[in-house]
Amino acid sequence: MNDTNLDGYRRWAAEPLTVPPRFSIVIPAYNESFRIVPTIGAIATHVSTLGEPWELIVADDGSTDDTVELVEDLQLANCQVLVAEKNGGKGSAVRRGIFASRGDIVLFADADQSTPIEHFGDLLAEIEAGHDVVVGSRAADGADVANKSKVRDLFSWGLKTVQRVAFAIPVSDTQCGFKMFTADAADLLFKRQVVDEFSFDLEILWLAQRFDLSVAEVPVSWIDAPGSTVDAVQVAREFVRDMIAIRRNARRGVYETDNHQRPTPEDPPTALLDQAA
Amino acid sequence: MQITTDGSTLTLDGRFDAHVADDFRTAVEACAPQGDIDVDLASVDFIDSTALAELVRAMKHCRERGADLILTSLSNPVRVILELTRLDQALTIR
Repeated sequence: MNDTNLDGYRRWAAEPLTVPPRFSIVIPAYNESFRIVPTIGAIATHVSTLGEPWELIVADDGSTDDTVELVEDLQLANCQVLVAEKNGGKGSAVRRGIFASRGDIVLFADADQSTPIEHFGDLLAEIEAGHDVVVGSRAADGADVANKSKVRDLFSWGLKTVQRVAFAIPVSDTQCGFKMFTADAADLLFKRQVVDEFSFDLEILWLAQRFDLSVAEVPVSWIDAPGSTVDAVQVAREFVRDMIAIRRNARRGVYETDNHQRPTPEDPPTALLDQAA
Repeated sequence: MQITTDGSTLTLDGRFDAHVADDFRTAVEACAPQGDIDVDLASVDFIDSTALAELVRAMKHCRERGADLILTSLSNPVRVILELTRLDQALTIR
C-alpha cells in the first residue's frame, strides 16, 4: 500500500482548502444512494494522489432517496453537495455543478464510475496541451468497452449516425459521461446551454464547435454499471426531440447570448430561460 | 476481473463489481469448509456496492462456520471505500 498517496487523501478529506482548487470534479446524481459512496471513494483516492488542490461537487438532481444525506454524512472537507428541490435533468445538474466550481479545470463524471477515474490524467494531458474541451470516448481507437448491452449498442449506433448527419460534430462519442473543460470553456458553454436532459452533451459539443473551441477526444475504458437508470427508448425519443430543438434554437439565435447566469453565493440558482417561461 | 484461488486464499485482480459478484460467491463457497478465507485485494482498483454486499455475505458465511473472512493487502481506493462505508469496522482487515 502506498501510504503517501493515502496521506494526500486524508488531508483532502479533513482539511478545507486554503487556496483555490486547480481541479473541480462534478458528479451529477439522481437517486444514486446505492452507488455514489464507492465512486466518491475511488475519485477522492485517485485525485488526491495528483498533488494539486481540488474540490468535489455532488450535484443532486432532486433525488428522492437518501443520496444527499449519504454524501453529507461523509463530512468530507472539500466535497459540497448541491441540493435540488426537483428533478431537472442531468444537464441541469451538471450545469449547477459547473457553476459552483472554482477550479481552473472541471471534469464531470458519472456517479457509477463506469469510466474509471484513472483516465483523469489522460484527459488532463490534452487540456494541458491546449485543448478547451476533452471528451472521454468509448468509440475512439483504443477504447475498451465492457458489458455493454446490445440495446445500448444499437442505441449508440443510432445516435452516432443521426448526429453525424445532422450536426457533423467531429467526436465519435458525444454521450460518455466523462468530459473535461477549462473553466473558461465551461463557463461559455454552460451559460449558453438550453437542453437539460440526457442529450445536453450533444448541445454542449455542438456549441463548442459553434464557438470554435478546440475539442479533443480520448479513448477510455468503460464498464457498463448494472442498475443504470437510463431508459433507452425514452432517451432515444428525447434525443430526437432535443436535436430538433437545438437546430431550431440555432436558427432563432438562442445561442447568441447567455441563457443562464452563475448564481452568486447569496442567490439560488437562476435560469434566465426559467424566468422567461 | 480475475479471481484466482489457492486453497483458502482468493486473489482478486481488477474491478470488483456486480458483474463478478456471482463468481466471487462461487469461489468462496468452493473454499475449504473449515478455516478462514483470505481475500487478497492488492490488485483491486474499485469495488462497488454490490461487491461490498457480497463481502458481507461471505463474512457471514464464514462466521456461521466459526471462521472468518479476512481482507488482506487492501489497495488505497478499496481501503478508502471500506472506510467511507464504515465496513472497515465490520470486516476483518489485515
